Amino acid sequence: MSLEITVHEQSCRGCELCIDICPTKVFALDEEKRLCTVVHGEDCIACLSCSYICPSGAISHRDFHLVKNFYRDEEFCKKMEKFL
Amino acid sequence: MGEVTVNTEWLSDCSGCHIAIVDLHEKILNVLQAVKIQRCPVLTDIKGYPHATVGLVSGAIRNEHDRYAAIEMRKACDVVIAWGSCAVFGGPAGAGNLHTPAEIGQAVYLENKTTTSAPPPSSMVSPLESVVSPLDTVIDVDLYLPGCPPHPVFVLEALSALVEGREPQVSRRAVCAKCKRRMEKTEVTKIRSNSDGIPDPEQCFLSQGYACLGSVTIDRCLAPCPTNGVPCTGCAGATMQILTEPNRDIRTEVAERMSRLTKIDRDEIVSALERSAKSHYSYTMATSMIGNKPTFHIRRWIEDEQADHEAGESV
Repeated sequence: MSLEITVHEQSCRGCELCIDICPTKVFALDEEKRLCTVVHGEDCIACLSCSYICPSGAISHRDFHLVKNFYRDEEFCKKMEKFL
Repeated sequence: MGEVTVNTEWLSDCSGCHIAIVDLHEKILNVLQAVKIQRCPVLTDIKGYPHATVGLVSGAIRNEHDRYAAIEMRKACDVVIAWGSCAVFGGPAGAGNLHTPAEIGQAVYLENKTTTSAPPPSSMVSPLESVVSPLDTVIDVDLYLPGCPPHPVFVLEALSALVEGREPQVSRRAVCAKCKRRMEKTEVTKIRSNSDGIPDPEQCFLSQGYACLGSVTIDRCLAPCPTNGVPCTGCAGATMQILTEPNRDIRTEVAERMSRLTKIDRDEIVSALERSAKSHYSYTMATSMIGNKPTFHIRRWIEDEQADHEAGESV
């Protein structure tokens, strides 16, 4: 299993914030479509900075080691799965 | 699952969630084939609380009657869904938590500038509780469906999933995911209020210096406001990343993105959003998910704004 990173195309606004924030230069702008695309997925270190900055929430990661945030709202976390 | 029966109940809210059922248009026929609607204040004349598989409860708990109705719905229904932002977060009524019921009565009935003054009603109307409470502080809630109102596709998906006995398929992306405006970097240096100039209809509001809450709001609407020229006011409540992490907040997340898209300083954006916090947090301030954040200081922000206003420096 290797880390997989995907951008939901219909949701990408082409703002380039993920390109700016990625420490390992995983993304590039597809000028023609005005969309951010993954060009070096193999370099992703799963810091999730792109996922957090993306205004649409369009970037998702699969098969990575998830480290729980130390600082989280426990009360809400218990409810989150119930959110539709 | 045998026949699925549905009760709905309407507490302190504007009626929009119930009206959204009608916005299912002809799809409501599919729903009616699959479920039997029993108590439903806008459709049926059932006053009691018959047993039902699913209970949709819209509205916040604002008065004693709301509390009674919520408890009766919990007793009558197997699954209770907090339906709409008022039930989930407290909704706009939550802004009332900044004032006492006596202050509200005074402002609405005795000092109302647009109508004849009259004493607040003292009979036939259920008394206000001291604060506005989201539904889950009064009864156990099985599912939460935020939105103001939730777009009918989400209501349909929730009901269909329950009928078919499967997990509802809904994304947790933000409003920006459905907005087609061009989000791009600009040389804009000044924050603009909504009444300031005419926004470019094709370009993202943040790129133009307008505070739009699309990027911090969960998409339960399909982005009608920004599509039609109105910046998002955050009516469906905050995204999951803001709700899970105490140090992430509506104003800081907007500022983070806006300052990267424009030449406006991040702190300036944060400060501007604090000055209009009653608007930006109006849908969610009653819930502990937002109201108890260590970064949420609405009373101080309002005092600062008031002090500046009195000193003649209002922004």
